[in-house]
Amino acid sequence: MSRYFGWLLVAFLASVPLWMHDFYFLHVLITTGIFIIAAMSLNLLLGYTGQLSLGHVAFFGIGAYTSALVSLGFQIHVLPDFTIGLAPKPAWFAMLAAVAVAGLTGYAIGKLSFRVRGAYFVIVSISFAEVVRLVAVNWVELTQGPMALNNIPVLRLGAGPLELSFLRKPEFYLLVLAVAVVCYVVIARLVNSRAGRAMIALRENESLATSVGIDVTHYLVLATVVSAAIAGVAGALYAHYIRIVDPDIFLFIYTVTMVIMVITGGKGTLAGPIVGGALFGFVPEILRAMEIEPELQWVVYGVLMILVVYFLPRGIVPAIGGYFSGQKSGGTAEAATTAAEPVQK
Amino acid sequence: MRKLPGLMATAVFLTGFVVTGAYAQETIKIGVTQPLTGAFAASGNYVAQGAKIAEEEINQAGGVLGKKIQLITEDNKSNPTEAVSTVEKLITKDKVPVLIGAWSSTLTLAVMPKLEEYKVPMIVETSSSGKITTSGNPYIFRISPTSAMEAKAFQPLVKKMGIKKASFLYTNNDFGIGSANEYSNMLKTNGATVGVMETMDPKATDFSAQLAKIKASGSDTLFVTTAVEQLTLILKQAKEQQVKVRIISCGGSNSPDQLIEQAGDAANGSYHTAFFPPWFPEVTKNPEVSKRYMAEWKKRGHNVGGLTEGFRGFDGVYVAVAGIKAAGKAEPEAIRAALWGVTVKGIYGDIHFNKEGPAGKESGQNVPVVYLVTITNGKVVKTSF
Amino acid sequence: MDELFQHFLNAIILGGTYALLGIGLTLIFGIMRVVNFTHGELYAFGAYCMYALVMIFHVNFFLALALAMAMGILMGAALEMLLLNRLRGADIDTTMLVMIGAWIVMQNMEQFIWSGVALSINSPFPANPLVLGPLSVSWNRVYVFIIALALIGATYYLVNRTRLGKAMRATFQDRDTAALMGIRIDRIHTATFALGSGLAAAAGALLGPVFVVTPTMGDLAASKAFAIVILGGLGNITGATLGGFILAFVEELGAGYISSGYRDAMGFLLIILILLMRPTGLFAQKERIG
Repeated sequence: MSRYFGWLLVAFLASVPLWMHDFYFLHVLITTGIFIIAAMSLNLLLGYTGQLSLGHVAFFGIGAYTSALVSLGFQIHVLPDFTIGLAPKPAWFAMLAAVAVAGLTGYAIGKLSFRVRGAYFVIVSISFAEVVRLVAVNWVELTQGPMALNNIPVLRLGAGPLELSFLRKPEFYLLVLAVAVVCYVVIARLVNSRAGRAMIALRENESLATSVGIDVTHYLVLATVVSAAIAGVAGALYAHYIRIVDPDIFLFIYTVTMVIMVITGGKGTLAGPIVGGALFGFVPEILRAMEIEPELQWVVYGVLMILVVYFLPRGIVPAIGGYFSGQKSGGTAEAATTAAEPVQK
Repeated sequence: MRKLPGLMATAVFLTGFVVTGAYAQETIKIGVTQPLTGAFAASGNYVAQGAKIAEEEINQAGGVLGKKIQLITEDNKSNPTEAVSTVEKLITKDKVPVLIGAWSSTLTLAVMPKLEEYKVPMIVETSSSGKITTSGNPYIFRISPTSAMEAKAFQPLVKKMGIKKASFLYTNNDFGIGSANEYSNMLKTNGATVGVMETMDPKATDFSAQLAKIKASGSDTLFVTTAVEQLTLILKQAKEQQVKVRIISCGGSNSPDQLIEQAGDAANGSYHTAFFPPWFPEVTKNPEVSKRYMAEWKKRGHNVGGLTEGFRGFDGVYVAVAGIKAAGKAEPEAIRAALWGVTVKGIYGDIHFNKEGPAGKESGQNVPVVYLVTITNGKVVKTSF
Repeated sequence: MDELFQHFLNAIILGGTYALLGIGLTLIFGIMRVVNFTHGELYAFGAYCMYALVMIFHVNFFLALALAMAMGILMGAALEMLLLNRLRGADIDTTMLVMIGAWIVMQNMEQFIWSGVALSINSPFPANPLVLGPLSVSWNRVYVFIIALALIGATYYLVNRTRLGKAMRATFQDRDTAALMGIRIDRIHTATFALGSGLAAAAGALLGPVFVVTPTMGDLAASKAFAIVILGGLGNITGATLGGFILAFVEELGAGYISSGYRDAMGFLLIILILLMRPTGLFAQKERIG
């Protein structure tokens, strides 16, 4: 039943450009969609392996920068007379490169960071993001630093009369939707596989998982790589939509936004980031349309966040799910979920 | 009977809808995107306030093309993604034919692709990065000066002020880096040497390390490019650490009034480039305009320290309106074409647009006047150069 | 050589306030395990209180400090009782999110009330610096340093030598046993959060007159505080104190001799290095990892 619901939803979403001619609304859908993809990737780390990574925007930004740089071309001096250069490549190639580079970074950072856990891991993840940001700011020869990489080419597929160019809103919206669906499927497959079960096991009780032979670090790193790669895709989409990338892409507020989407939606659920993403992607726009003072718009946003988390600490999706299954089995589902709560460290 | 309240509500709603719709028909809308919250909120709000003054002045004088103008101001939250969203909304929902924005260079650069996509012109009121007018975007019309222009205007003063060795302290973003590069190049071609070039994070509050280095470098002058909050701290800390150099601030976001108020004695003896000197408006190109703006600003009780930024919004609106008038209609393409030919007597000077950038896709760039003022005994005075 | 000594002097003075920030957070983050995103906002709150007291109500400068700190304590207690109380058993990231929400609300309320323009607080100290040979330092900063040390000492005393402090340490080592021993857990949580917040507010009230007061001033302070907590080991007050000084030294010398642009990044680089080599921080005794 729920499988069909999923595909029905996708079909409905795909039809949107046919009847929705409000370009601004499509724009909001696109930016929200990009953040939802990033939120889904964060959910893999935060929700499924239970690691509170607050540096996630680093992977997003690396994906954006890689895609921008590969499609613009670059040249850097490794030694005073020796340069490494790359001629501009087509955008689709750049995006694939972005996924690869982001994934690799995920591997490297994962291997280094997972020597620590809990609160320490939180700080390490923030620190990594900050260092990446500073590299972007200071390595001007490569990244243009604060002067920004602009005029990023539009994504084009095919050639000649069959060329599909993703400049206009409807096409880009469908692209984002397609990528989101693919990512969702990848994550769903991973989570429901043996690897996924191992991750959930180590989230629930790491020492117990180790004692039954689960290689914790291996699975954590795996989760990071996949998570980083997907965040990289989101970053690449961003780069080819907004078409300018500068170190501001590493703003902490973006990480915060993703975290909000995951946790309010329901971490550790597949639908969570989508629901949370939709809610907190649309709320700022609704607030903007209400024409109250800008600072107060933020205040309402913050209060709403607090209320959602306060009354639905496990997130919206589990709350709805709990409500429905509570109706049927009279509370056993709730009991089961509370028993599975991770032991407070 | 139960349906009556519902029906009445609907009726009221529809009437309201129709009325506002009808009202909306009667105004010409101008979009404004500024950082009203976030890191640049102070400046963004000043620009928005200046723009509002112009809006009401123009409407009192009858508006343009027989209709009143209506500014639609959106908050871009000091964040490039939001800046793009504001421009999207202003163009696609509010259907503005011309925009003013977006304050900082990164925010302006972020929205430029959208301007080209939708073919709507934007008047750039503050940003200083050269890239904005050299990227080949024919929808950009900048009234603020570039760092290169500012440095060029400073040239004759190098000898007059006797600058032999100068160091630089600037923020690590496009604003600071652009300014420091332009000024240091200008100095080198004018017989001066460069000491140390120190950067600072735009959010930093402690500059003791950088100042100690500058002190040890033996420079006689220090060029500082940053916003007024950091400038206040730099002046205070330079005094605390006894860094006895002549301090010159660049970039125009320096608000000398605020410096006097907050840095007190430490501000004396410092120099500041300004694009509008509210302390002696009579030296500006169009003193009647300057005085009118200042009077209205003070009447509304706005912070006096904001005069040096609010005028950008003020001039921006007047230029937009001049473009609409010359075009004869509130259509983006017509306004874009018409802006090339306008001259506006503004606070920036006699505003007009020269071509700048790659051939065939030039942007418009104004050449504003640049002033140098100094603070003596707690007052801003003209320099004697 | 003079330059080096000046850097040293600057670092020592700065270290005092960093330590104050770090101690406040190590109590909350380290002991209560709350990722306290409002710590920076309490710092800003303290500064704004100081501004209001000194510049609007013309309260005596030194009395205003005490009042600002008291208001910080009250604000901290209010936050804890309103927001954290109910979430006591929840995951670390749930409480974190609530703190993020509170951070957004507080910072924007501050901007709404005061606008984003920087405010400066007058201090009764002379503008001319204290000159020691080739070195100089402002009187204001010397005062800040002395008060910071006093507050650090007082906190140390409170936590290690009073009953309340003992109760705090007991609660966070083993909550159930502490409850069995008759300790009022609720009150301890509130008191700890209030104390940490009060210290942050004090730091803000002290530094407000030295720098300027803006709504976003808390963000930088908070990131330094987190760095110090990691350096010193979670929950370790002595560690946080030393960590504050170490961070100040690394920043000053790094900015002075390596690169000034990276100054505020020194903290992060330091954290990464420490965590890779000594994951429990420089001074932690027996923190387990994870």
